Order: sequence, then structure tokens, then C-alpha cells
Amino acid sequence: MAPAISPRLVEQFRRIVGVENVLSAHSDLLVYECDGFVIEKNCPDVVVFPRTTGQVSEVVKACRVAGVPFLPRGAGTSLAGGCLPVGGGVMIVLTRMRDILEINIRDRYAVVQPGVVNVWLTQALRGSGYHYAPDPSSQGACTIGGNVATNSGGPHTLKYGVTVNHVLGVEAVLADGRIEQFGGPAEDSPGLDLVGALVGSEGTLAIVTKVWVRLTRDPQGYRTMLGVFESVDDATSAISEIIGAGIVPAALEMLDHGILEALEAAFQFGFPLDAQAILLIEVDGLEAGLDAQRERIVELCGKCGAREVRRADSPAERQKLWKCRKQAFGAIGRLSPSYCTQDGVVPRTKLPHILRRITEIGRKYELRIVNVFHAGDGNIHPILLFDERDQQQTRRVLEASGEILDECLACGGSVTGEHGIGVEKIHFMQKMFTPDDLRAMANLRDAFNPDNVLSPDKMLPTAGGCGMEQKHPGRRAAL
Amino acid sequence: MNSTLAALPLTRTCQPSSLDEVAALIAEASSRQTAVYPLGGDTSLDYGLPAKVEGWGLSLAGMRRIVDYPARDMTVTVEAGMTMTELAELLAGEGQQLPIDVPHPDQATIGGVVATAFNGPRRYGLGSIRDHVIGIQAVDGRGMPFKGGGRVVKNVAGYDFCKLLTGSLGTLGVITQMTFKLRPLPQQWAVLSTTVADWDQAERQLAALVESPLAPSAIELLSGPAWHGHAALPAGMSGDDSIGLAVFLEGTTAEVAWMRDELQRRWRSDGLTRPVLLEGDHARNALRDMAEFPAGDAPLVLRGSVVPSYTTRLMARARELFPGVSLLAHAGSGTVLMRLAQFPAEGLSRTVVARLQSLAAAGHGHVSVLSNPAAAEMTHQCVWGGIDVPFDVMTAVKRQFDPHNLLNPGRFVYL
Repeated sequence: MAPAISPRLVEQFRRIVGVENVLSAHSDLLVYECDGFVIEKNCPDVVVFPRTTGQVSEVVKACRVAGVPFLPRGAGTSLAGGCLPVGGGVMIVLTRMRDILEINIRDRYAVVQPGVVNVWLTQALRGSGYHYAPDPSSQGACTIGGNVATNSGGPHTLKYGVTVNHVLGVEAVLADGRIEQFGGPAEDSPGLDLVGALVGSEGTLAIVTKVWVRLTRDPQGYRTMLGVFESVDDATSAISEIIGAGIVPAALEMLDHGILEALEAAFQFGFPLDAQAILLIEVDGLEAGLDAQRERIVELCGKCGAREVRRADSPAERQKLWKCRKQAFGAIGRLSPSYCTQDGVVPRTKLPHILRRITEIGRKYELRIVNVFHAGDGNIHPILLFDERDQQQTRRVLEASGEILDECLACGGSVTGEHGIGVEKIHFMQKMFTPDDLRAMANLRDAFNPDNVLSPDKMLPTAGGCGMEQKHPGRRAAL
Repeated sequence: MNSTLAALPLTRTCQPSSLDEVAALIAEASSRQTAVYPLGGDTSLDYGLPAKVEGWGLSLAGMRRIVDYPARDMTVTVEAGMTMTELAELLAGEGQQLPIDVPHPDQATIGGVVATAFNGPRRYGLGSIRDHVIGIQAVDGRGMPFKGGGRVVKNVAGYDFCKLLTGSLGTLGVITQMTFKLRPLPQQWAVLSTTVADWDQAERQLAALVESPLAPSAIELLSGPAWHGHAALPAGMSGDDSIGLAVFLEGTTAEVAWMRDELQRRWRSDGLTRPVLLEGDHARNALRDMAEFPAGDAPLVLRGSVVPSYTTRLMARARELFPGVSLLAHAGSGTVLMRLAQFPAEGLSRTVVARLQSLAAAGHGHVSVLSNPAAAEMTHQCVWGGIDVPFDVMTAVKRQFDPHNLLNPGRFVYL
């Protein structure tokens, strides 16, 4: 049990960050009891909002002296409970460190504070010919610090990679309060690639206070298409055919009939409601190559039974289409009072199989499941619809989710492509990894966070236990 | 980079043929407190600090199997001892590639390339080796096998051992197996080159490429005797002071043709006339030559890594310091390779540390020793050259994975 936070410690935080940057009243703390994973909740004992790296370091040192656990938080959009203060303690919220410190187009990097919202950077870069490639669907709210912690993806990872492929360096406050810089704007920093180890460590190794990100050239053009299919099987074979033909689309997303209905009701885009699946396909790059790629894609979709392939080339149309896609989860409220989504990954060629299995599992548990996901990466997001007031239905959702993720593992895949382990999927770690693998992971954590006071009880199961027992799936937002 | 097995004080060399055998060997070495030196194709044995402690060589040459190649998923899982050429041929059969260019690909093993994080010219356009490793298996200093990542292209479960082990020089674990994500082979290859008048003009051209809509796979700056008379470069490339600029293009035939014409048009308007153009296999051969550059015979090969806008400054300084030096920069990425004609008379510390590293530090980077066959003056500062790098944190990680310091001891950055 963590020692309670003393009034003296709260007073110390007020001295470090200023009175207006400390929350300790229970009503204020309630906001921070969970992130986008709302099943398990626990209030932190105190929330601090540092504005400088030095303040983060001082807060951490004060926590160490007092012997209380602490953890970082960005915008709290994560979906696996990465910012859940298990056992309470001090929450260090980085949203007031929100400056873009440098943009250097010649050397293709930018330096940002962790609280910079993902889309702000792209907005700041508009007109420069460059952008920041990782674009998770929550990009209007999520912070780059949080993206670093979870190694965020998004619809464009198929061609451009995930967050770790775009982070050159980080400044971080270690669990003992030391400030260190790993990597930086130049490539090949000597020694171990600790930048690569810190990205995706879900706040369990260090608190990132500054990020050097790689900037990506804007593509010269886009071709955006909607492939309309009579069956899910046809759509998934088209995905396989497109990738197999050596085309690397910028994005390749699948939406099934169930989600189309909800989207159409919400956005009136003009989706064909009699289609069983549509593929949102985008290629980008040099204008010189785009028409040929589009023609090839149209041909391959046709070969796989597509009824038609619509173009969405005008900027307005393209923008609207992406808005539909990125806000898909918001539209689900029209389908059911509650929903739960999973984040499994399978090899692309196993997509037809896993989607068939998802349908079967839905039938077995008498649940409606709709799908909208990053098909090109094999990253599925089945959305299980239910009413959380019905306990029996709720239990079936949990069982069905587990069965879907087990099936992903059986296909040689993963239980999470971009949402992270957090507290939600801790019990799957032992299915995916051997005890030795987990020991090696604990060894890495021990090197950074030897007393496990930084974000304790996350990501790695503790000996003899497997994290929190899940009793109740909840509403979950965006992906 | 050198292939002198004599560089290591080996008492015996073992050649296990499975993960279990590797684990058993390391466990045995661990119980005897004996050092273990992982061996791949023996092409980079003098990279890093010279080994001082006697130990066993652990050759991965007996582990070169294809574990899984689901070509339609564009991933491949192979054992560490497979050579780069074997891997490239396997992938080419399916129209795919791992776009990493290294010297001696017929000897260099994929495990060695990952362990040294070696990257060639096309890192600029196609990413580095770190970006392609999606799964990894290794054996730590106690003999415990462990893995990270998996076989799917997107996966955030657990800590990213793929990144942690890439470039760790086998000091956290002996890498036994890796999974890579792959790319399609392009339809067409081309390289277009010209000569520029001086370093300032070189930098203006590099900056212009960054601003341009062109998407080269590699941007190379070349200078020095190694490049005289090279088929990919203009004939005017002769004197030691001349500077060549070579831009590699790959993609569909239409894309490459557009980029080629656009680049020629831009160069013409900048007064850079008579460019040399090679296409297809000729362009691939030129790429191979550039990848091979750091392996050429030289008494000292250095590698500078700076922000790209400092590339020409570092090259100019190297040219001043080292008469007869041959230079190749992967200029889009800020990597400068320096092949010296003779060992610096002033010694390594005075030249490298005092004169080059301060300049590199101003460009947010560092200079390290890639190869020094005589192993003279190989100090931590000379070889790794990091300023304000958290080597202490790296040492803490090392202690967790190899508590008795048996894997490649004394050769890497640890304190």
C-alpha cells in the first residue's frame, strides 16, 4: 500500500509548480480517475501540472523522498488504462508544457514539449511542405508526449510507420529525478537505442519532457478511392491483392456494413448502404505515379468482385471522407448504448479468416459486432455493441473479446497494434510472451525504474498475479 | 571495417545450430565466467573498442535458415547467420527487398547488420535497419533466451526489444532470429550525378533537394581519390578538391522518369550541366559501390553523424585535416564516411577528438571510429565520441541483461 500523501508534500508541490498548478480536492481529482479506458477507475491523490522540465524533476525527487508512486499523463485519450493511477499517488500532467520549441525544415525535424497536441504540429507546419506523419484518430486531442508513451499509430502507418519511426530523440526525467537526453536531431547517437526503448514504454521507464520528431515531406498528390464490395471476404481478398501487387497505399481502411449505417446516419456522406464492406484506399506520392497506381487498384478490386470503385479526389471530398473515418467511433452511439473495441493484429493474409471468426464469435455470444479498422496493417478493431445495464450481456462481451484476441494470437498476431497494454491487457502478456520474455522486460524496467514507483502495475504482470480482474467492459472512444 | 578474426582473443570458436544450443553455450560460459564474442560474417570485427579479455567465439554461421516467409504478408523471419546476399536473393524471388545496403553483402550476416545497426545510402529515402526489424529473439548474458515484437507489422505489446537490440553490438544478447517488414522492389532504378564547384554550392544543392518535391532514395556527396574515374560520376571528377553529387531514384518507371527530368531541369537552371545518368542495373551497381566504400582498405575509417545541414562543413574539415582522404556522405541523413590515406600523424585523440568532434558536436552529432586495423589509440572517447550521452543509463541496462559483463566485454559504450 502506498503511503498517503501528506499535506506537507502537497505544500511542497505548490512551491515547486505554483498553487494554481496543483489539484488536491477530491472533486477536482475525479477528472483524472481514468483515461479512455473507463472500466477501472481510481483517483490520484494529487495532480500537478509542471511547466518546465526542471519542475518535473523536482516533483519526481519530492515523490521519491516521500516514497509515493507517481505517473505521467497527457490528454488521457489512451484506451488501455496507461494513465490509471493504480494505488493512487501523484499524477504529473504534462498538458501545460505545450510549446513547439523549434521547427527546422532544412534538417527535417521539430522539437516539441510533451503537451503539444498532435495536430498543432501539423497545423504549425502548414505551407512548409512538411508534416508530422503519425496521425492517430484522436490527433485533435492527444498529445505528442502521449503518442511517444504509447507508440501511437493511425491510418497512415501502413506507408509511413508508427511514432517510433518518427522520433529522433527525447529528453526525459528518470525515476530518480535526473534529467537526461537520449538521441537528438542527428541520426546514430552512440550506444544503445534507448529512444527506441522509451517510445511505447507506456510511461513506465521515464517521463518524457521534450521530443525531437522527424518531419516528412508532404506528398505531391493523393488519389483516394472507395471500393464497394458485396462481401467482407471479397474486400479482404482485395487488400491482400493490392499489397501483394507491390503497391504500398498510404492508407487502406475497411468499414463493414454495420459501421457504414452508423456513419451514414451521422455524416450523410453517401455511403452505399447495401454494400457489405467498403475499402477506403489512399495512395500518395509523386503525381507521376498516382494514376497508374489508381488504375491498378481499380483493376485489382474489380478482380476481387468489387461492385464499383468510387473516386474521392477533390480536397473537400477527401477531407470529408477522412473526417467520417476518424470520427467513426463517435457515430457508434447511434447503434447501441455501450460498446467495446479490441485492437488485435493478424498477418494481412489472415484477415478473411479473422473476420469470419469474429462473425462466428458474435453469433456464439449473441452479440452484434461491427468493424472499422486499419486493414492494410492487419490491425483489426472489432466493436462489440451492448448495453452495460445488462450484466449478462456485459459478461458475454468480455468473453467474446477474449476469444477474438486469442484467435489473433493463434494466427501469429498480437493483442495490441496501437492502443497498448496498460492495465487492460496485462493478463494477455503471459499468453503472448514466455516467462523469460517477461523477465527480460522486467529487467529493462528495473534498469530505469528499479523500485517500480513510476507508473506501477502497468504493462507487465506481477509475479503470481495477472493484473486487475476485468469485470466490466465500458464505452470506449476513438482509435 | 575489416575482416580480421585475429582482432579477437579467442580460445575456441563454437558453432551452435539452434537457439537451445546458443542458450546452453552462453549458460556454460556464464558459469565459467568466460567472455563470449558473437560472430557473424566477420566483416565488422574491428568496429568498437578492441577486445582485451580472452573468450569464446560464438559463430552464428550454423544458423542461417528461413524460419517463415509469408511473402504476401511482406514479412520474413530468418536466423541470424543468413548472409545479406542470400536474404536479398530470397526476397527478390518474390519481388521484395530489405532496403539496407552494406559492404561485403556476400559475407555480412543479417544478425551482424542488426547488431551493428549498419545503414547504407538508402536510409534517407527508405528508412534504417531499425525501422524494419519487427521481431527479435536473443539470448542474454545468463543464457536466457528472450524475444520481443512478433511477426506482424504493427504491434505495441511489451517493451520494444527490436529497437533496444538493434545497434547493441551483441552486448545485451546474442541475436539469433529476426523478423523484418519488407518493401516491394521498385520497377526502375536510376542515379543522376554532377559535380559542384565547392562546399557552399554542395550545401545549396542539398537544401534545394529538401525543398523540392523530389523523393530520392539516397543523396550522396563524394570526394577524393576513391571516386576518380567512377562510371557513375562525371569525367570532370578528378582533382582531390572536386565534389560529386549523386542522387539515387527508385520507383515506378513513370516516377523515376519524372524525377530524372525534373532534377536535370533544376540542375541546368543552376548551371550544373552535363550530368551523368545511369539506369537499371548500372544504377544498382553504383549503389553497391557506395555501400562498399567504408570497407575499402584504409588505415582508418571514421564516421560522422550530424544534422544534414552540417554535412558539408564536416566534409570540408576532413578534407583540410587529412590529405588524400576519400569521403562519402549519405548527405540526406547527415552521415559522413571518411577513409583516410594514412593514419593521422598527430594521433587519433588530437585529430579526431580535438578537431572533428567539436565540429560534429556543433552539428548536434559526433564522430566515431568505424575501422582502425592497427587499433592504435582506441579510447572510449575516440571510438564513440559521444558528448553528454547518458552512457551511465546504458550501463545500467547492460547490467540487467549481462550482469557478469560477458557479452562482447569492453568493446561497446559502457562505463
